[in-house]
Parts: sequence; C-alpha cells; structure tokens
Amino acid sequence: MKSFLTIGCLLMVVAWMGAEGGTVPGLSVAGMSVAGKPVPMKLPVPAGWPAPQYDFKKNPLTKEGFLLGRKLFYETALSRDSTISCASCHQQFGAFATYEHPLSHGIDNTLTTRNAPALENLAWQKEFMWDGGINHLDLQPLAPLTAVNEMGETVAGVLHRLQRDTAYVRMFREVFGDTAINTQRMDRALSQYLVMLVSADSKYDRVMQGKDSFLLPERLGYAIFQQKCNSCHREPFFTDFSYRNTGMPLDNTLNDFGRMRITGDRRDSLKFKVPSLRNVAITHPYGHDGRFFSLLNVFEHYRKNMVVTPLTDSILQHRLPLSNFEIGQLTAFLNTLTDTAFLKNPLFAPEGYVITPVFVHRH
Amino acid sequence: MVCVSGLVLVLGLKPSVRHPLMIRFRNCVGNRPLALTGELYSNSFGESFSVQQFKYYVSAVRVGDGGDRGWAGEEGSEGVDRGHTDEGEGSEVILKEAHLVDEGDSSSLVLHLSTDLADVRTISFVVGVDSLANTGGVQGGDLDPMLGMFWTWNTGYIYARLEGESDSAHSPAHRFTWDIGGYKDPSNALRTVTLALGGARGDGARDDGAMGGEVIWITADVLKWFDGKSPVHLAGSPICHQPGALAMRIADNYSTMFSVTP
Ligand code: HEC
Ligand code: HEC
Repeated sequence: MKSFLTIGCLLMVVAWMGAEGGTVPGLSVAGMSVAGKPVPMKLPVPAGWPAPQYDFKKNPLTKEGFLLGRKLFYETALSRDSTISCASCHQQFGAFATYEHPLSHGIDNTLTTRNAPALENLAWQKEFMWDGGINHLDLQPLAPLTAVNEMGETVAGVLHRLQRDTAYVRMFREVFGDTAINTQRMDRALSQYLVMLVSADSKYDRVMQGKDSFLLPERLGYAIFQQKCNSCHREPFFTDFSYRNTGMPLDNTLNDFGRMRITGDRRDSLKFKVPSLRNVAITHPYGHDGRFFSLLNVFEHYRKNMVVTPLTDSILQHRLPLSNFEIGQLTAFLNTLTDTAFLKNPLFAPEGYVITPVFVHRH
Repeated sequence: MVCVSGLVLVLGLKPSVRHPLMIRFRNCVGNRPLALTGELYSNSFGESFSVQQFKYYVSAVRVGDGGDRGWAGEEGSEGVDRGHTDEGEGSEVILKEAHLVDEGDSSSLVLHLSTDLADVRTISFVVGVDSLANTGGVQGGDLDPMLGMFWTWNTGYIYARLEGESDSAHSPAHRFTWDIGGYKDPSNALRTVTLALGGARGDGARDDGAMGGEVIWITADVLKWFDGKSPVHLAGSPICHQPGALAMRIADNYSTMFSVTP
C-alpha cells in the first residue's frame, strides 16, 4: 500500500504537470503516512476559479480518504446483487457519464429515468441531479444506493457488507482513526474521491492561460459561443448552475417535469439544470433523458425543434437561430473542451487498472 | 435534593446540582393505546385503519419554570429559534439534537435528561429537524439517513411518519403513507409545541419518579393527524411523500396531538 501510495502520488504529479506546470498544491507531499495519521491533500483549484462550495472543514481531504473513496466508487458490493458499482454508470473514459447510453442500466434489467451526467468539478457545485434535488455532495450516493432502478440496496445492507470486509475495516481506520463504518463516513470518503475529479486541462483552458492558441474555426466558434450560449453555459464551468426550460417537450413515457418535482412550483415545469459542456464531445447522448444522440441533434433542437411555451426560458422565446456555418464553428470550439488528461488520469482509475480511452484526442 | 437546590436558589446562587428529568412518550389512538399489530382504529370520519409505523422527531426540547412567558408565546413564529441565546432565568434548552420517537422501538419512548430548573412548569419542543441538519450533509445518531426518515431524491428529513392500511385508502394494497417534512419556505413543516405541566413539584399531581427525578408523560394521539386543525381524509389523501401543502396541513394537525398526562 505504501509503495502504491508513492507511485500514485508520482503519477498524480505527472498527470497534472501539464495543467499546473508541475506545482500541484498539496499533491507534491510524499505519500508516507506518519504513524497512523492520514496524509493531508489539497484540492487543486485552477487559476482564476472561485473558491469551492464543498465544506472541507467537516471532511478534510487526505490521501487515504481519497483512496478509500475511489475503492468505494469502483465497489460492486454497494449494489444488492454485487453487479453494479458507481463506475458502471459513471465511466472515466466517458468523463464519468455512461458512455453512449441515453439511460443507464440499473440492477435487475432496470433503466434509470435520466441520462447520467458527467462527474466533473463537483466541489464547485451546490446542488446535484438534473433537478437539483440533492443539496449536498455527501448525500448524493444515498440516492443511487437505494433506488430500485439503480443499485437496489439498503444503506444498512451496504454498511454491513463493508463492516465484514477486513480491507475496508483497515482503510476506514486509516482515514477516520477507528474502525467504525457508518453512513457518514462512507459518504464522506466517496466525496473525497468525487471532489478530486477536476477537469480543467482542456485545450480551451490552455488557450485561456496563454499556453496554446485556437485554430481559426475554434476561435470563431468561441466568439459565437460567447454571444449565444454563455449566458447559461457560463465559463469557466460552462454552466451557471441554474435551472432552465429549453423547450424540450415532455416525454410521456418518463413524465419527468424536472425542477417542478422539487419546488412544487408550476413555473418550474420542465426546467432542468444547465449541464456543463466540459468534455461535451464525449458525453453523448445529450439532454436530461439522453434524447439527443449527437451535437447536431442539439443544434437542430435549438434552432428548429424547440416547443416554445410561455414557460420556456426568456432567452429562448424565439428559439436560438444558428446557421450551418455557425454550427460548424461551434462544434470546433466545443471539441476544445475535451480534457484528455482527465479522461486518462490513472489516479481516478481503480487500483492497478490501465486505461485505454475509446476517445483519445490530443489537440 | 429538592430541598438543597431550593435553598441554593433562595440564596441566589446557581444550583450546582442538575435535576434528573425523564420524558416518556405514550402514543395512543383516541382513548386506546397504539399497537402496531393490526388493530383496527377509526378516525372521526369513520374511516377505519391500522397502523404499521408511527415515528416522529422531537428536537430543541426546552423547559420553563412558568415565569417565562416571552419564549412560550413565540409558538408558531417559525420553528427552532436559533438566535435565542439568552437563556434567561426561566427556561433552559435541555436537548438540542433531534431524537427519533419510534413506536416500534420501546427504548426510543424514554428520554433521560436533566435541568438546572428546580421547578418545571412548561415544556416545549420542535417536531422535526432544524434546517442546518437538513442542509449539512450526512448526519449521524438518530439523524442517520440509514433510519429511513430521509428523502434521498429531494434532500430533507421526514419529520414524522404515519403508515398503515385502510379500506378507505384507494392506493395500492390500501396502504396509506404520510411522510411529513419540508424545511424551505413556504413548505416549512417544522412545528413548535408548548405544553403546560400540572401543579408544582411534589404536590401530588406530578409524578416524581423513583429516584427523586421528575417524569413528564407526554401523550401523542394519532387521531389528531386527521382532524387536529383541519380535516384530512384517508380516502382523499392516502399518500403524502413530499413537502408541500398537504404536508403543511398534516403538520398543523399533528402539532395538536401532544398533551401532558399526570
Ligand atoms: C444505475 C446507474 C447509476 C449508478 C449505479 C450511479 N449513478 Fe450517479 N447518476 C446516475 C444518473 C442517471 C444521474 C442523474 C440523476 C438525476 O439527475 O436524476 C446520476 C447523478 C449523479 C451525480 C450528480 C451529478 C450532478 O452533476 O448533478 C453524482 C455526484 C453521482 N451520480 C455520483 C454517483 C455515485 C457516487 C454513485 C455510487 C454510489 C453513483 N452515482 C451511482 C446514474 C447512476
Ligand atoms: C437559456 C439557457 C441556455 C442557452 C442560451 C443555451 N443552453 Fe444549452 N442547455 C441549457 C439547458 C437547461 C440544457 C439541459 C436541457 C435538458 O436536458 O433539459 C442544455 C443542454 C445543452 C447541451 C446538452 C449537454 C448534455 O450534456 O446533455 C448542449 C450540447 C448545449 N446545451 C449546447 C448549447 C450551445 C452550443 C448553446 C449556444 C448555441 C446553448 N447550449 C445555449 C440551457 C441553455
């Protein structure tokens, strides 16, 4: 474990070299834990980004905590029949969305009712899920764990299994000081892994840092983006974290009214969270229910297929006119948001796993 | 001990000895004890029902000596009064954290607390869980989401649950489930309950317990869930699974279910 820690640490530093010029805060600490004390770790905050939303005071990041969270993320024993882990639906090579699936597969041949979003930059997010129903990252795992169409387990069942596994007992002690395994500790460990999923090393980021430059179509696309998309897909997260009705008509097999289910307010009907567009080139299909199979489908929606109602967002009351030329340039720009280092970062993969992304696209 | 602390009070000193205070919850249905074993009860609309689960959170338990009209009159203002730090002479918070009263777990029906007050004349508590716990991530103890009094898809605690079967409920298997919660306005279902106790300690009207510690018996009447303030019929509303208008009405109703029994 010790030697793995050191290697992991090295890889980590190497992986982020490009982004941070070799100075990754907190990650350059040697991976040796001093007599039972977990080694503190810092969230890498990209230059120019605001302070994270996540409260690290209650859950201080440590290497051991991160590694425990990672083990849990890849743990199939979290599901009732030990077939499904978080990573079954959140695949690293797909930016932690479910690659090429409109809806994800749960236990017993079930399907989720929504498209699994990419998991990235979660430490800056205040609310989770397409409807923002979950108000704290630590609480997020409880939803898939207990949902009958996801992992179909009970929290007690999961804890019981972990408590009987000596590897977990040892790791929980390393992280939290004693061997108690409870809901709070399990969820905090998972959060330690989740917050580290920082994606900020795309070509776009390098251009913004003056380390790279856009090709002509990318530059033109960026200008169009700033004019037509940035009010909702705001930089640097490519979302303003608001809920909006984009004129996607109700699918009457799913009957998903989005934000309205949480607020009970009719005006929130069919509002969904503005998704980040980081890594968007590989997170297809798109939309809260995965109804758009390609970026082209999304553009066709914005310019032609939107069903505008009085509840549709005020910015989109006349749809979003886009010429074929603009679509071409926008696509070129959106492709610069792919963060290959993130998709391949061995630190995020299960222990001992070699990643071969289906999509390797260095710019 | 009562005598000693009385003397201390007379001398104007803070009593150094805390008085043990036991709170016991007794759940009933009208004049019958509540049982979770399929007994049939009937509400005031003649709807018959049985109860399988009956649980509620009690938090911010405060006792007063009767000279504390100020805070007692705050009832209904809004849930837990966090800013209230001036304990004053007449009242004391004796339990801050939420405690889950669960009819299915007899040990949860007793609270062993203590107070500085020599003579307790009023007791108040909040039914529910304050908003900090609703927004602060995963909690432990009685607030462990593992206990199921928690909505995972729309973050928030279920403050109180009444679940059972009724032929009047036209829901699957005639099951009715009333899960009540909500911490955001205008669906904040926290309710403060204030109860006056009987006569003074030791005058015979009050149970002084075995070891000199006082016992306060609090009775909770399930029937009030249906009509404590406004009628809610099982036929019309067998399911309540989220914060909102129905949860608010049922919370208003059950806020009247408590009484102190000598
Ligand atoms: C069966 C597939 C499935 C499994 C298993 C699963 N998820 Fe998800 N996850 C989803 C879907 C679908 C959503 C979107 C749900 C929604 O918005 O209603 C989601 C949403 C999320 C989000 C919110 C992202 C955001 O930006 O709002 C996080 C975080 C997350 N999952 C983490 C996890 C963790 C941790 C686990 C393991 C404990 C896990 N997921 C297991 C499918 C899954
Ligand atoms: C009024 C706010 C708004 C504007 C303007 C806007 N979007 Fe969106 N966008 C959204 C919302 C909300 C969604 C999620 C819709 C849903 O699934 O219900 C979304 C979804 C998307 C998706 C799908 C992403 C995914 O992971 O599912 C893409 C791609 C996208 N938008 C691109 C764009 C582009 C490019 C522009 C500019 C031409 C643009 N958007 C303008 C609000 C907006």
